[in-house]
Amino acid sequence: MIHRLRSRISAGLLLMALSCPGPGIAAQDRVLVFAAASTREAVEAVLEVGHREQGIDAVASFASSAALARQIESGAPADLYLSANIAWMDHVEAAGLIDPGSRQDLIGNGLVLIAPLGRSPLAAAKLLAAESPILDWLSGGRLAIGEPNSVPAGIYARQALNSLGLWKTVEDHLAPSGDVRAALALVERDAVPLGIVYRSDAHASRRIEVVAEVPRASHAPIRYPIALTREGAGSRQAISLMDLFLSPEGQAHFTSHGFVAVD
Amino acid sequence: MEPLLSETEATALWVTLKVAFWSVTASILPAIAVAMALARGRFPGKSVLDGIIHLPLVLPPVVVGYLLLVLFSRNGPLGLWLKSTFDVSIAFSWQGAALASAVMAFPLIVRAIRLSLEAIDPGLESAARTLGAGRLRVLLTVTLPLSLPGLLAGTILGFARSLGEFGATITFVSNIPGETQTLPLALFSEAQIPGGEAAAVRLTLISVAIAFIALGASELLARRMRARIGLKERGPS
Repeated sequence: MIHRLRSRISAGLLLMALSCPGPGIAAQDRVLVFAAASTREAVEAVLEVGHREQGIDAVASFASSAALARQIESGAPADLYLSANIAWMDHVEAAGLIDPGSRQDLIGNGLVLIAPLGRSPLAAAKLLAAESPILDWLSGGRLAIGEPNSVPAGIYARQALNSLGLWKTVEDHLAPSGDVRAALALVERDAVPLGIVYRSDAHASRRIEVVAEVPRASHAPIRYPIALTREGAGSRQAISLMDLFLSPEGQAHFTSHGFVAVD
Repeated sequence: MEPLLSETEATALWVTLKVAFWSVTASILPAIAVAMALARGRFPGKSVLDGIIHLPLVLPPVVVGYLLLVLFSRNGPLGLWLKSTFDVSIAFSWQGAALASAVMAFPLIVRAIRLSLEAIDPGLESAARTLGAGRLRVLLTVTLPLSLPGLLAGTILGFARSLGEFGATITFVSNIPGETQTLPLALFSEAQIPGGEAAAVRLTLISVAIAFIALGASELLARRMRARIGLKERGPS
């Protein structure tokens, strides 16, 4: 009897402990940044600078631009949204969820053809071109790209391969991944001989090498728009953080991670 | 009139059913063997085996997919072995998707079979033995028929798990339309496109429809089985 009572009490205590807010959750005026997964390293560097130099208290949540946009739509308390593609920013703007005056293109990116480290089929980095013998390079393996209808990196990769006239050649030799980092992981694991990822992804990995640059003119410009949400537009800290992102120092953190400045 | 399913949807549906069917079919015999070992066997390392079998229930599916990729990709140890011994490669193929599904569903199938094995009255088996039946005969005519409900439950559970499998599949064999793109993967792709909600809802409805059809079919089967077992019980013997 006493035994049972005791176990009830401890179960009750456990429940109480679990229902209390943990340490550091739910700080009221903390800035919440929703950023595309591919910008992680650069965004964390900028947040660190903001915290050190201006005392801005901010955290970031990284996910696919699509997932973040849908969360903002469902009322997520984000203050800043950094999207890896224009379509999703247009989507939340059309829904009236961001402050349209604050929207700017923060940074750009390029595409590269990559291979597992030490397994590049070419001697030196070149430009991917219409006459590139990509099937020979694949030698029966697959080309990892983001899923070409839904994942932005895959959409750009398809545009590039299309305009180079290589799409029909490789169409049946693709490994379409759920996001661009998954495509990178396939090449890192040597599960595929080649992949197309963002320059910044190639920069982030030490286990791959760049085989060739994908010509910039072969696909639509890759832009990362940033904007304050309706909620963020009212927060002094969020506005300061936005300014820091757009400052030359903020931009430098992106270019040093392989991103390209927007002209 | 618009066709009921678009070509992409029809293909994804076909791939899903093919993958689920083969993942369960290939799992049944090994699952029975493992369930037997866990329910009846006494051997060193039994709890380790139990733990390993249950790992896919605990691990994030993405991790399972990643492990499969490491093992079975073109340069993974098992991938190389399959290639050199049988000249087959299951990475990025529907067979790979079936393997991923099977690994994820395996603990569920084993659990169901094991429970019904443990529920069998050992007296029935020893009675059969004393009446002169050999071990194999006891297994085939007493033990397995009595564990049929668990076998059926395990099969349905495994099939259902396969229909919804996402994380391990997309990590291991990626999202290739017509080869490895199952309904959940197609649904995920649609949800990544602004305005893709309508298509995602259609795919959800298709998934719900299959789930209900599968449930209905299993219910029918279970009823028939109960009737058969009931008949035998009433039969003069």
